[in-house]
Amino acid sequence: MLFTGVGGQGVQIAARTLATAAMDEGRHVMLVPRYGGGMRGGMTNAEVTVGDRPLRALPVATDCWSAYAMDPSYWSTVRPHLRPGAVVVVNASLVDVEVGVEGATVFSVEAGAIADGLGAPMAAGFVLLGAYASLTGLVGVETLVGAMRQLVPPYRTQHLEANERALRAGAAAVTPLAAPAWAAGDLERAGR
Amino acid sequence: MTRRLLQGSEAVAEAAIASGCRFFSGYPMLPFTELLESMAKKLPAAGGVCISAESEIEAVNMALGAAATGARAATGSCGQGLALMQEAIAESALNELPLVVFNMARGQQDYFQATRGGGWGDYRTITLAPKDVPEAVAHTQLLFDLADRHRTPALLYGDYVIAHTSVGIEVAPLAFPPLPEKDWALDGTMSGTGRARQIWTWARGKPNTPGPGPNLAWQAIADKYAEIERTEARCEAEGTDDAEVVVVSFGTTAVFVDRVVEELRAEGVRIGSFRPVTLWPFPGAALAEATEGCRLVLVYELNAGQMVDDVRIHAADRSAVRSIGGVSQDASGMRQGDLLAADELRQRVRRALADGPAARSAR
Repeated sequence: MLFTGVGGQGVQIAARTLATAAMDEGRHVMLVPRYGGGMRGGMTNAEVTVGDRPLRALPVATDCWSAYAMDPSYWSTVRPHLRPGAVVVVNASLVDVEVGVEGATVFSVEAGAIADGLGAPMAAGFVLLGAYASLTGLVGVETLVGAMRQLVPPYRTQHLEANERALRAGAAAVTPLAAPAWAAGDLERAGR
Repeated sequence: MTRRLLQGSEAVAEAAIASGCRFFSGYPMLPFTELLESMAKKLPAAGGVCISAESEIEAVNMALGAAATGARAATGSCGQGLALMQEAIAESALNELPLVVFNMARGQQDYFQATRGGGWGDYRTITLAPKDVPEAVAHTQLLFDLADRHRTPALLYGDYVIAHTSVGIEVAPLAFPPLPEKDWALDGTMSGTGRARQIWTWARGKPNTPGPGPNLAWQAIADKYAEIERTEARCEAEGTDDAEVVVVSFGTTAVFVDRVVEELRAEGVRIGSFRPVTLWPFPGAALAEATEGCRLVLVYELNAGQMVDDVRIHAADRSAVRSIGGVSQDASGMRQGDLLAADELRQRVRRALADGPAARSAR
């Protein structure tokens, strides 16, 4: 799956949280971040590959199954790498561009507004990630919360609770398994 | 030990520490920065020292000084920073000091910088070019061994993809044969004691214990590099036994070559791949063997044509050698551009196959 946004939205930690959660559920994962020299406001993309066997995927993803878009600024760098019929989960609070992928299933989540409502506007990326996980079942929400807790550095622990609420609020805002990533049997094997 | 999700830089840092690296210095520059950050986080806990220096020149000379005391020491940067480090890398070679240098290169595959360098003297740098993160972990440990064994600077040629890709991995320490004592290391003994040691490029020694002097010392160093060239070349060849066409590449690009060659072989094309694992020493004899009887030797590198020179020198038939790579930068100038893609590579290989051996590249 492809992640896109601008620096400062938490796109990198969202991608890393998903990858860590998938690994914690026994999957094989590869995470390739893409960003330039700038930090705030610049392009920040990532690719996460997940499989139930050792991966053969190349470190430049093409023909991707899904996308997570926090911001439209660099959507054009992601769109060509999505396959027709891709699952696209967007932050409706900011993303107002045409997805432009043939046959795409688009889920619009008011991630920014939900995070504002929680009093945690900085956690919008986690709202969208919670929604993504719930829609696809790629990882369980509990595993996601656990992964987030592993990844937030010791000097940022004051955000743990808000991040957890954001993940759960995102998951609650969508229909679970509306676009399942795995066959039903896979989910049972993962213990969910 | 179990697999953990580690970024390439973090995994390389752990491999370096597992190898006994206890001094690291560097100046932040993308995509090397994460290696410096990882060393800063992990090295003090292992009893080592990591210094964020004020420049690449300061960083490499600090590491050189640490190496002179016998510590396993390393530095690194991207190609732009390595340009500044050339003098100290050459000094490391001519002073016979083991120094490991991590080149986390940006989009440009600078083979010449790695294998030719820009310092003075008859020196070389052993250079390992891993194709992915697990290999980078193994190569890091091998580099510290080779640097100590041969008392030479040794480079890891990494890149943006290796530095930044995270995979589930276990950093397992590798075992190496015993190394000679570092009886040359400076131990702080002052002059006037009769036991002070000296490390000096001109090797003239001290008044009471004259050294061999530059002529003999530098010839001995050149002889050492000739021996390394005979013994340390490493490569990987796949499907070259019956191949009419061989694609040569190094580092991350080789992962793409492997994929495309595998697909084309499945279609019945008699094609193979060859990858120098050591850029220096270049595995020339193995390349000559792998390209025996080939009508095409295609070189895929993300630059305007650098390794292609060494391929021309060593291929069984130099007239069969064709460059199919090119300059390929993304918009940020920090990472590889559109050429690092299986589709693009497949098209370039197919075009070369269709052109046949009579068509010559511009170079």
